[in-house]
Amino acid sequence: MGDHCEQTMRRLSTYIDRELNEAEVRKVKAHLDDCPPCEQVFDFQAEMKRLVRKECCTDDAPSRLRAWVRQLATEKPKPAK
Amino acid sequence: MDQRGVGMSSDFSLFERHLDALYRSALRLTRKPEDAEDLVQETYLRAYRYRNRFKPGTNEKAWLFTIMTNVFRNRLRQRPVPEDPIDQPGADFSIYEQMRREGLPVHLMSPEEIIVDRGFGGEVKRALEELPVPMRMVVVLVDVEDFSYKEVASILGIKIGTVMSRLHRGRQALQKKLWEYSGRPKTPSLAVGAR
Repeated sequence: MGDHCEQTMRRLSTYIDRELNEAEVRKVKAHLDDCPPCEQVFDFQAEMKRLVRKECCTDDAPSRLRAWVRQLATEKPKPAK
Repeated sequence: MDQRGVGMSSDFSLFERHLDALYRSALRLTRKPEDAEDLVQETYLRAYRYRNRFKPGTNEKAWLFTIMTNVFRNRLRQRPVPEDPIDQPGADFSIYEQMRREGLPVHLMSPEEIIVDRGFGGEVKRALEELPVPMRMVVVLVDVEDFSYKEVASILGIKIGTVMSRLHRGRQALQKKLWEYSGRPKTPSLAVGAR
């Protein structure tokens, strides 16, 4: 693993989380385009993040709770159940 | 109703759009639907009570999550829930590296195929709920709710460096658990970590 690979791997999470500045993003992108092994790690970890989000976004608030919040917005709040 | 009252109530009704996000995060934190509902209710009651302190045009989702995480931490202090001790730092773990070490064709498989398709359903939620609270909060806020590190630091009142280290450890611990659930052979490092 070369220096570029190590630098890229160190920045991978912050890159995936869109927390790098433009110059850093360019560096990481350029390396990923050139280095299939690093690109594979990137694809996997980025997919992992998407999976966590997708799997956890399936629970919607119960309609009774939604009705309660709506009521709070329009009326004087009643004490919580 | 006067002008101000109308404005305030319509402002407040904007907060409803974050209800699903608050509820699903409350579920990950409390692990129980009744407790999650209760936590969300208290969050909205407080938001309502302090609605004048909210600056219109600022991030209302972050504001609601700040309230909710504070209420949750106060409750936890009053009524601590026993937690499984988590494997301490030790060696880095990622499913990708683990599969590579074992000579499995990781480049031909997506995380979804490895974790969900062979799983029992709901494993990601379960793994997340087993993380210690400080890590769990950061992973939920960043990975599920898409807050920036800076926003999470402000919501939880911690430093950005702390956000990053909790996120790093939380994700590793999450992958370790998902790897265990997937029924893959235990690794020596896992066996050591468990004890």
